[in-house]
Amino acid sequence: MTPDTWLLLIPLTPVLLLAALALPVVGRHLWRLTPLAVLPALAGALWLPEGAWAFYPWLLLGTELALDPVGRGFLLLTALLWGAAAVYAQGYLGAGPARVRFHAFFLLAMAGNLGLVVAADVAFFYTSFALMSLAAMGLVVHEQQFESWRAGWVYLGMALVGEVALFTGLILLVHDAGGHGMSRVWEQPPGTAAMILLLGGLGVKAGMVPLHLWLPLAHPAAPIPASAVLSGAMIKAGLLGWMRLLPPGSVPEALGTVLVVLGLVGAGYGVLAGVFQYRVKTVLAYSSISQMGLMTAGLGVAMMHPALAPALIPALVLYALHHGVAKAALFLGVGIARRVGRMAALAWLLLPGLALAGMPLTSGAVAKTLLKAPMYDAPVDLSLVTLGLSTAAAGTFLLMLRCWVLATGGLREPRPVPVSLWLPCLVLVLGTVVLPWALAPEDAFKALAVEPALALLWPMGLGVLIGGIALLLARFPGWTLPRLIPEGDLWVPLERGGRGVLGWVSRTPWFWRMPGGGFTLALIHGLPRLWAAWLDRVARGERLLLRWEILGMLFIGLVLAMLAAVYLGAVMAPS
Amino acid sequence: MDMGAHVLLLILLSSLLPGVAIFFLREEQFVLRTALNLGGALLKFLLIIGLLVGVYRDGKTYSLSVNLLPGIDLVLAADALSLLFATLSAVLWLVTTIYAIGYLEDSPNRSRFFGFFSLCVSATVGIAFSGNLITLLIFYEILTLATWPLVVHRGTPESFRAGRIYLAYTLIGGAVLLGAVVWLTLLAGSEPFVVGGYLQDLAADHGTALMVIFAMLMAGFGVKAALLPLHSWLPRAMVAPAPVSALLHAVAVVKAGAFGIVRVLNDVYGVELAADLGVALPLLLLAVLTIIYGSVRAVFADDLKQRLAFSTVSQVSYIILGAALAGPIGAVGGLVHLVHQGIMKITLFFCAGNFAETLGIHRVDEMRGVGRRMPWTMTAFTLAALGMIGIPPLAGFISKWYLGLGALEADMAWVTGVLVVSSLLNALYFLPPILRGWFSRREGPWPDERHGGRWLETHWMLLLPTVTVAAMALGMGLLASLAISPLYWVTFIVEFEYGYDHIWSAIFEWETP
Repeated sequence: MTPDTWLLLIPLTPVLLLAALALPVVGRHLWRLTPLAVLPALAGALWLPEGAWAFYPWLLLGTELALDPVGRGFLLLTALLWGAAAVYAQGYLGAGPARVRFHAFFLLAMAGNLGLVVAADVAFFYTSFALMSLAAMGLVVHEQQFESWRAGWVYLGMALVGEVALFTGLILLVHDAGGHGMSRVWEQPPGTAAMILLLGGLGVKAGMVPLHLWLPLAHPAAPIPASAVLSGAMIKAGLLGWMRLLPPGSVPEALGTVLVVLGLVGAGYGVLAGVFQYRVKTVLAYSSISQMGLMTAGLGVAMMHPALAPALIPALVLYALHHGVAKAALFLGVGIARRVGRMAALAWLLLPGLALAGMPLTSGAVAKTLLKAPMYDAPVDLSLVTLGLSTAAAGTFLLMLRCWVLATGGLREPRPVPVSLWLPCLVLVLGTVVLPWALAPEDAFKALAVEPALALLWPMGLGVLIGGIALLLARFPGWTLPRLIPEGDLWVPLERGGRGVLGWVSRTPWFWRMPGGGFTLALIHGLPRLWAAWLDRVARGERLLLRWEILGMLFIGLVLAMLAAVYLGAVMAPS
Repeated sequence: MDMGAHVLLLILLSSLLPGVAIFFLREEQFVLRTALNLGGALLKFLLIIGLLVGVYRDGKTYSLSVNLLPGIDLVLAADALSLLFATLSAVLWLVTTIYAIGYLEDSPNRSRFFGFFSLCVSATVGIAFSGNLITLLIFYEILTLATWPLVVHRGTPESFRAGRIYLAYTLIGGAVLLGAVVWLTLLAGSEPFVVGGYLQDLAADHGTALMVIFAMLMAGFGVKAALLPLHSWLPRAMVAPAPVSALLHAVAVVKAGAFGIVRVLNDVYGVELAADLGVALPLLLLAVLTIIYGSVRAVFADDLKQRLAFSTVSQVSYIILGAALAGPIGAVGGLVHLVHQGIMKITLFFCAGNFAETLGIHRVDEMRGVGRRMPWTMTAFTLAALGMIGIPPLAGFISKWYLGLGALEADMAWVTGVLVVSSLLNALYFLPPILRGWFSRREGPWPDERHGGRWLETHWMLLLPTVTVAAMALGMGLLASLAISPLYWVTFIVEFEYGYDHIWSAIFEWETP
């Protein structure tokens, strides 16, 4: 099979399987095949030749698909995670027809996520992005509880706003470029409006502070396999979108500064909000916000100093891969941890947690070293950024500590763990160690040297110190972790505030009596009256007109008059 | 008179004659009536496809002219634009006929219904093939009269009330239109439609008169297109049976209005003259207002068909918006929406009809859990509604894409803001029924469950047309670059009929890797 067909098969296979779900009789059993839908993507990531490119003039507005090195990394991550989550979902979801529905939306979101990785024109990118965002709604509200609906509405609302911002940004790009192929779009530096719209539109997906509000609500509400792909794969679509549409070198350095600042704020804030959480999946969601902040800051540095981009971009891809695999392993592990003893639970979560914190020998160590190396070599002083990255790593360790404490505490519900649960989890856990050696053995080896290892270990040491003190304090009676920051942080005051303002306005008489208030009041009372009076008059007129004889006579008279006028005009017109 | 002119007549007669014949059939002559209906619809479809091929391959336009009064000709002409509308009508008539046969099974007065149904389509196709304003006017009035019996078909007091209001609006609109056409004929004679308009020479002497006439024409066509102050008959006409609502909303009536506006703007005045006279911008603003207003009203409508009706008010103005942008890309977006909106809206009305006929669902909040009971209809509804929002890869996305680019091309970037707001409002009123349908639980029985088929969720004559048009709504977006897509044909119109260069290459041949 040629690369041409293969590239199309990557997003097409899930859609074909979805169509097969609709078949009579056999269809309702085909959801068991969901994991197979990632196989073309996985094979493509591993074996498609460098620079594979295909053009489908009949699809959408003329679709280009391609696989470049960046895309290959993301494709590997996406395929791996969706495959693992699909296997996990087989054992995790109970019986019932809702299961088929889950798999239907799962396949759609998977198709979108795979499609946007290989998209090489902005129309197909947008199509895939929208498909993924909207279909993921089906995953978030799957449980049909009050919590899932609330999370779902926040998710959907923000996703839609992001969607239209992205749409507007894209047509601005396409208008300037005169074509919608990505190579065409890259020829022109994006305008300011387009840049802001793309930053925000993709920022919603990437969990960029302050557009992250849906994340800590949606993750605990969604079923575990859905949380794993939301946090591991889909969130990366924002980062990939930035890399594709705002490539370093063609955007002004100021945008890079903005990204660095927002990224570091997000990295810190995610930690701060996360350690005060009481549910494991929420802690993990905040950890994702924090980690995405690190990647955002990395991309920002590449935009500020395009000379560093050739080294930073591959590092970011590896970082995304590392974070996706480790985070998905943690989510899947959380599902297992409830069913096994405390020590076994810790065993499942230990390795991916340490990898996220940057433990030497794991993927985290390689990713972090690779990301920081170009910054040390930079011609300008970036020590503030690297210090921020290191501090965030200490925070990550604290978050992982919190995650371990929560996952091993509480009531246990011992139940057997079927193979469909532990196998995908085990693959991902091992992935956090094996991946760097398989993908970048030289860099993995370099990361073992003393200097980078020390740079990685001191933040972890700091984390151990703070965490140890916290754990010691927790032993004293009366010392509990305050619930400083609620789940969904800013959303809670926003929601309460919105309700409050509405209630207050409606309840407060003096509001209506403030300067101009009398006028407002008169207007509010008077306008409907005027409107009603007007409607009355219209209705009376309507009634008059509706009498058949009047209407008919008027109409016939009019027709005759007009015809006469036309006739006379035509006869008398000087021709 | 050449071959093509005969074909034009034949196309008109292919629904007119069966329509007249059906009036004389007895109620129980089901087979003959169905044969006449479907035979006529198929024949018309094939004839129009024949003309389409002729126009595309040979670049010919066909016309037929009959002298009516001295100086007044009745002109039938087939150019690319008229074929766009005619094809849409023929295709949707075919599917709606099948749907209506299934929908009206065992109900009274079927002969009367199908007779007027055929007359209505004859009038619509007549509007499509009108070669000058007078001909357009005649068919426009016939359409008004032919649709009234369909609106009041149920014969309830409520439907008579809706019918009276419909008639009052459209007849007064028709009268204003008549006045405008007469005035224009006095000024310029009964000229055939020509791209770029035929009024340039009059602009210097009769500028004010032309502006007033333009306003009258817009008011006349705007009634049927449901432009802002003239829209209120449309939601009330929802008491009609579902196939009628579908046809009224998707093709016949509202599209006749929109088509008339596009004709006047492009082929009577010409976009340049319209811009010089300063009448294009007010029209644009009116379209924008209608888009927002219709969407806002739809958000607050609880009845499913009402919601769809207000959505129509909003969406039809996309077509007018595209035309009023006065640029080639905007024209592509507007014209392609003529087809896309028709397909998507007819899908939604078929779905609403299926819900009402099968389960007795009329209100949005009754749709809880309907996705499990009627998955095919719900899938069709989801596709069409997402298309209306403008979500890719559905048909509505293609319209929105080119409308947005057209607005940027015309240096009116604020219009993209309108599109964004409208999209969000569309999402606000279309997503709740979708989410309720798929993710809410149904407690208790359905309001009025009638059809409990073992294999299919409802009667096959209701389901097949619904799924067909939904698949078309998906295909028109997903395969927009194929040579049989509406986008392709519309680009053909804009490039070769409107005479804009490079639009073809800008849309289809940008890729030279």
